Amino acid sequence: MPSTTQLTWRQRLSRWDVRVSPYLYVAPFFVLFLLVGMFPLLYTGWVSVHDWSLLGGKGDFVGVDNYTKVFGDQYFWVALRNTVSIFLLSSVPQVLLALVVAGLLDNELRGKVLWRMSVLVPFVVAPAAVALIFGNLFGDKYGLVNAVLGVVGIDPVRWHVDTLASHVAIASMVNWRWTGYNALILLASMQAVPRDLYESAALDGAGRVRQFLSVTIPMIRPTLIFVVITSTIGGLQIFTEPRLFDNVGLGGSDRQWQTVTLYLWELGWRIRDLGTASAVAWLLFGFITAFALLNLVLGRRLSHLHGHAHGRGLGRRRR
Amino acid sequence: MTRRPGFLVYGLLTAFVLGSAMPLWWSFVIGSHTKEIVNRDTPPLVPGGHFLSNAARVFDTVDFWKALSNSLIVSTVCAASVVFFCTLAGYAFAKLRFRGSTPLMVFVVATLAVPTQLGVIPLFILMADLGWTGTLAAVIVPTLVTAFGVFFMRQYLVDAIPDELIEAARVDGCSMIRVFWNVAVPAARPAAAILGLFTFMTVWTDFFWPMIALPASNPTVQIALQQLQSGYYVDYALVLCGAVLSTIPLLVLFVLTGRQLVAGIMQGAVKG
Amino acid sequence: MDTSTPTSSSSTRRHRRTRRGLALAAVTVLLAGVTAACGGGSDADSGDDGGPITLTVATFNEFGYEDLLTEYMDLHPDIKVVQKKTGTWEEHRDNLYTKLAAGSGLSDVEAIEGDGMPAILEEADGFVDLSDPEVDGRWLDWKQAAGTTTDGRLIGYGTDIGPEGICYRADLFEKAGLPSDRDEVAPLFESWDSYFETGKEFVATMPDTAWYDASKGVSQAMINQLEFPFEQEDGTIVATTNPEVRDVFDTVTSMQAAGLATNLDQWSDDWVAAFQKDGFATMACPGWMLGVIQGNAEGVEGWDIANAFPGGGGNWGGSFLTVPAQSEHPEEAKALAAWLTAPEQQLKAFEAKGTFPSQVDALDDPVLTDQVNEFFNDAPTGEILSDRAQAVTVQPFKGPKYADIIAAFQNAVLRVDQGQASPDESWDTFVSDVERLG
Repeated sequence: MPSTTQLTWRQRLSRWDVRVSPYLYVAPFFVLFLLVGMFPLLYTGWVSVHDWSLLGGKGDFVGVDNYTKVFGDQYFWVALRNTVSIFLLSSVPQVLLALVVAGLLDNELRGKVLWRMSVLVPFVVAPAAVALIFGNLFGDKYGLVNAVLGVVGIDPVRWHVDTLASHVAIASMVNWRWTGYNALILLASMQAVPRDLYESAALDGAGRVRQFLSVTIPMIRPTLIFVVITSTIGGLQIFTEPRLFDNVGLGGSDRQWQTVTLYLWELGWRIRDLGTASAVAWLLFGFITAFALLNLVLGRRLSHLHGHAHGRGLGRRRR
Repeated sequence: MTRRPGFLVYGLLTAFVLGSAMPLWWSFVIGSHTKEIVNRDTPPLVPGGHFLSNAARVFDTVDFWKALSNSLIVSTVCAASVVFFCTLAGYAFAKLRFRGSTPLMVFVVATLAVPTQLGVIPLFILMADLGWTGTLAAVIVPTLVTAFGVFFMRQYLVDAIPDELIEAARVDGCSMIRVFWNVAVPAARPAAAILGLFTFMTVWTDFFWPMIALPASNPTVQIALQQLQSGYYVDYALVLCGAVLSTIPLLVLFVLTGRQLVAGIMQGAVKG
Repeated sequence: MDTSTPTSSSSTRRHRRTRRGLALAAVTVLLAGVTAACGGGSDADSGDDGGPITLTVATFNEFGYEDLLTEYMDLHPDIKVVQKKTGTWEEHRDNLYTKLAAGSGLSDVEAIEGDGMPAILEEADGFVDLSDPEVDGRWLDWKQAAGTTTDGRLIGYGTDIGPEGICYRADLFEKAGLPSDRDEVAPLFESWDSYFETGKEFVATMPDTAWYDASKGVSQAMINQLEFPFEQEDGTIVATTNPEVRDVFDTVTSMQAAGLATNLDQWSDDWVAAFQKDGFATMACPGWMLGVIQGNAEGVEGWDIANAFPGGGGNWGGSFLTVPAQSEHPEEAKALAAWLTAPEQQLKAFEAKGTFPSQVDALDDPVLTDQVNEFFNDAPTGEILSDRAQAVTVQPFKGPKYADIIAAFQNAVLRVDQGQASPDESWDTFVSDVERLG
């Protein structure tokens, strides 16, 4: 009976297809990571347990000495404090503002393309121009922001001197560049929200804001989690903006805005102690991973719950 | 069709867009004046008439055409590759069940956390061993598939494709790749457009790694821009004119992908 | 699971054959294609088999080499030279260090800033010994010494130097009732004492204008007049125990307290803006600074330069050309570096970008000595800077940590300027910073 053999062959093939396909689909990322990601990571780990000068190269094996050295360096803790502070000042307002902007863009606007593209403009401006513009804005003595503050009678803020002020200035640089970007990401998933949900919510008498809070936000939760995690990781690795905040690029005369990555850069390229710099890199890696995993686990739980809600339905949301 | 916005929405968006676009406008204003005007006490507020002559200076000073074509190649290849492979992987993580998917996904996210600054030395050693330093491959290959993209597509597709749709297609006898092509790809389109656009722009504006990996004779746009700056006294008219020139291709890209970003998302299937 | 979502799979019904293999093939082809295409796009610069060879020259800021390199290619049709320019030394250095650490990727000729040279001499094995009887004695002695290792290998060919005069605003001097003619002004700048005293006089009548641009600049100038400011020849770090260094620190911070400083960070946006706002009246200016002032002070009239520098002479900046051992064409690269740093070529670079030559034979060349600068009230800048170069008597010893220590020192001064710390607190931080440098 040739048809039966044909069928089993097909079934077998189909089962094999189901089993193997997922691995094939995710393989490109992992192959590439093994090629260009793994080696740097392991190499950095190898360097971090040696006495290793940037130019002189490898020295003696020192075990965890580099790590204890970092923990004993007060500047590391200053850098960590600065990083967390700038991160909080940037990520939180950024995600909230991005949500609002995405909500505004998720309307039947005239000239949609233009609106959507405009919010992305900060992302295309060349770094040279960004540094220049923000330098002009946040000058301590002759800057535009202080000039405006002066008009309304507020004393000039010393953006490059006071710790918190410098963090605010850097955070606003970050927010300016990334808010529109995150807004578009959120918008993409808002667009996937079935419109009939809004219609039924409207029938139930929910206003615009209420619809946004009880329909849109739950529906885009996975993407929201994505935005939160990536901006967390990006925020903790912040490098370009604080580096460009003055011309020395090491975080100010008193390390007011030296972040962990700048600290790492100083250790590696100025003090030329690659071993200790590598230890900082691994510490930062561990710190961020822990942070991101926490986020992800929380998020998974939330999206799991959310999945059930999605399945059962509209009834509940309609309540 | 029911959600027609009022003045408030337009007002808020206008304010946001003005804030976003101001620096580019300002770059254009400065880039269209002579350098003599720029450093005056009160800088100009409206564009001058020297943009084209500054642009001519940019093209005289650096090999801007080569830089543009290099950047176009690098950004296009990376964007296309990232969109394809990340959609594929993101779909697998979002919708297919396979052993180890959770730890593998966690691994993907963890790779995002690797600080890039320190990676430059081993990465450079690696590229040199492969013989790719100085070639565009050194810039392209590390960005062929990104953890960011995989994660993004996964999060998007989790809810964007109903499981029933996949099951139905399977029952109809579609192979896995066919399901991907006919169900996931249409559903992923808006996210894919965004991911492609972002990848293109990220690669286009990337400066640090190309500066390390590419020689002066084979630059990308950002490295060419760097050649316009002469250190301790900067000719801002020239630099910002170059900066504006470097964004023009991106603006063209905006126009081209705009339709895709606005297009009504899922072809028939999910939209109720 | 809820199945309320309508499904339409008409489009998925047609093809049922498995395409797994096809997908895999596509993946492989795409990956391979990309790599191959990119490999092909490289610019081949290997020069085997006697074909034309390509040399790369990496510089930062302005070396004035653009026309010279074209000239060189005309003289040597078999050689193609490509210049890689970077904005600042700091960025150039980060790139240079990365490639030194990675062991490949450097240009055939790499420029090194003077203060960065001691650290490079420590890594002399990474560079070609450029000693050659032909170039012996080409440079001022101290310049040549600064490019030579302790065991006598010449690692860097000197390009330019930065002899300093004092640039000043004649118009503001006049307003303050001070002499404004450059010959009458010069005696006021004979010593640091007279310079600071004049400054106090100035700020007393002109309270809105500081005396000098940045404490960082003044402190650097004073440090550069010490023989062993931070390190001894045997490598001992004395920065924090050397009473002369502490003297400089105390002097600069007390002058800050007296209101002579702008309290601005050198090179910051505020510092640049201060040129337009009559923010200060004087500044130390090596030759390469003239262009910076002219650019920043566009439209401001009254700048002049005095043929004097407090405490004798001073040098700020100046660079070297090196040939990394990684170079595949060390002989050709050396020949190019030697040609570029010959007096004739450096004079052309001086004409192009104002980089003051470090070559003995260039110093009395009319091209140099006859130069007049219109922006600085037609001052004979060539002659003045030439005189200033002769006046440099002390060359500070700069060890491998020099650049890092002076950066820490200048930060200490800036902390006081900005009111973040009292002088004593700031000094203590400097001490621990230096200890950290090891």
